Amino acid sequence: MVLKEEDNFVKGYISGEIDAFTAPILREKLSAIDLKDGLQAELNMTEVSYMDSTGLGVIVAFFKNVNANNGHVKLTGLSARLKRLFDITGLGEIMDIETDDKGGN
Amino acid sequence: MPQEIERQYKEILRQYVMRQTEQNLYTGQNFSRQLIQKNIAPEEVISIHKASLEEMFPELPMNVWHSFDLLIEMMIRYGLALKEHESLLQKQEEMKVEMDLAANVQKTLLKTTVPSVSGLEIGLVSVPARQMNGDYVYFLSDSKDYAGVAVADVIGKGIPAALCMSMVKYGMDSLEDSHTNPAIVLDVINRIVEKSVDDDMFISMFYGRYNVENSIFTYASAGHEPALFFDSEKDDFSELHAKGLLLGVVPNVIYNQHDVKLKTGDFVVMMTDGVTECRTDEGFIEQEIIASLIRSVKHESAQTMVEMVYKELEKMQNFELRDDFTLVIYKKTS
Amino acid sequence: MGYQSSVEILTEWDIVAARQLGRNEAKEVGFGTVDQARITTAISELARNIYLYAGKGKIEIQRITEGGRFGIIIIASDEGPGIPDVRKVMEDGFSTSGGLGAGMPGVKRLMDDFKIETTLGEGTVIKATKWIR
Repeated sequence: MVLKEEDNFVKGYISGEIDAFTAPILREKLSAIDLKDGLQAELNMTEVSYMDSTGLGVIVAFFKNVNANNGHVKLTGLSARLKRLFDITGLGEIMDIETDDKGGN
Repeated sequence: MPQEIERQYKEILRQYVMRQTEQNLYTGQNFSRQLIQKNIAPEEVISIHKASLEEMFPELPMNVWHSFDLLIEMMIRYGLALKEHESLLQKQEEMKVEMDLAANVQKTLLKTTVPSVSGLEIGLVSVPARQMNGDYVYFLSDSKDYAGVAVADVIGKGIPAALCMSMVKYGMDSLEDSHTNPAIVLDVINRIVEKSVDDDMFISMFYGRYNVENSIFTYASAGHEPALFFDSEKDDFSELHAKGLLLGVVPNVIYNQHDVKLKTGDFVVMMTDGVTECRTDEGFIEQEIIASLIRSVKHESAQTMVEMVYKELEKMQNFELRDDFTLVIYKKTS
Repeated sequence: MGYQSSVEILTEWDIVAARQLGRNEAKEVGFGTVDQARITTAISELARNIYLYAGKGKIEIQRITEGGRFGIIIIASDEGPGIPDVRKVMEDGFSTSGGLGAGMPGVKRLMDDFKIETTLGEGTVIKATKWIR
């Protein structure tokens, strides 16, 4: 994951597969982000080829933490399969998600 | 270094130098197995080799003996790596024993009996990808009027996921009444999980309750894979969706509940994402394939159905499971 | 008390000097080629650790004798940060050796006796002994 931090805005570009092996690495990177009050975070998942439930767990934990500090998390560039995952789990309703093919929730 | 080893090595070397036959090489390799078993380090082997050469060809230039000294230095680290490897193998064996014990404790703790109610066949297969199962199936039934089943998937695998499951078990145990509405069941479990479980552990769960008297299957879902409903008359599948958030994210969640009536021959297929995320080298095994697989065995008993589907998907994935695989079928037979 | 000498470890070159001292002493005491190499490798690891983690320290070599047998003792000491978790440092595995088999467990395998004394914030003393068989 590549991270760009400026002021109260953080943008991360995640790529590759997120599974039980790689999820801990993502978790470490995300927990290293300074959770300022009201932080705006955007995670671009266009280059994510696969994510299973472990990856989901990491993203949700990040979401919970940012929200606890009055921040906001937005996920962009989700493939159809990823969007389905978020929809089924109900997370699509509580998280701000943008799919790959422009257009909002 | 035992004299005997040195003598034997010298003899093997002498034989090979005289005649470079495959037989002699084979003898040499067999001997090296003994050396490893006796914990003779690589640098020691080279030292014997050097000493043997010095005896056999004393006229060789000094530089050759120097080169051996360098080789000995280089091999010391290889020897250390080998010893570390052996030590780690031993550790691995010990850990395996502990895991076996833990897996057994888990199996006993999470045992659930498949209920028997009239007119309904229930099939169950749940196979862990590793030693501890991150999927959980819990039946709640009074053996007469209701047969309820919870199919849960703890996000994550292995030991942490399995430990998380005890929360669900205790929650389900507290709901002794099999008549309880699926939406309520999820609500109760959600509150327990949200309070007690680690911040990045979440659980998806599907709860279904079959009413024997009116053949209605009521269901609710907490972020879980939708179940499949097979209508025997129309001969087609449809997905049973129910909106509801994953367990453990926020404490107050509204779970939607729906009904579907089962006629004879109809069945409901509940699963975890270990089934839907089956992959081969080419990519994901599509929903249609899984559905047609199930359709091809629809005339079998529920238990036979789940076992045959599992065997087939296991074969398609080259006998490697990426995720815990759980499949439950409720089939109305009369 | 036998003959002893030492090398200050400050730069990477000092590691080589410590190795040289160790090899000379080992040869004098009567160790064979392979054991000389082992002792030198152990000194190398210990000196390298001082260089990498403590910044400054000392390697002392002493010839020893006890009950008729002869040997050598390496004393690696520094005033560095100390070792916070000695058990972890003595475990085999990727985290300690990078999968190369060396590190403290490696030194322990190369020598006959091995002792670590460490105090956080004050420093570490490691004593490793080898006897002629």
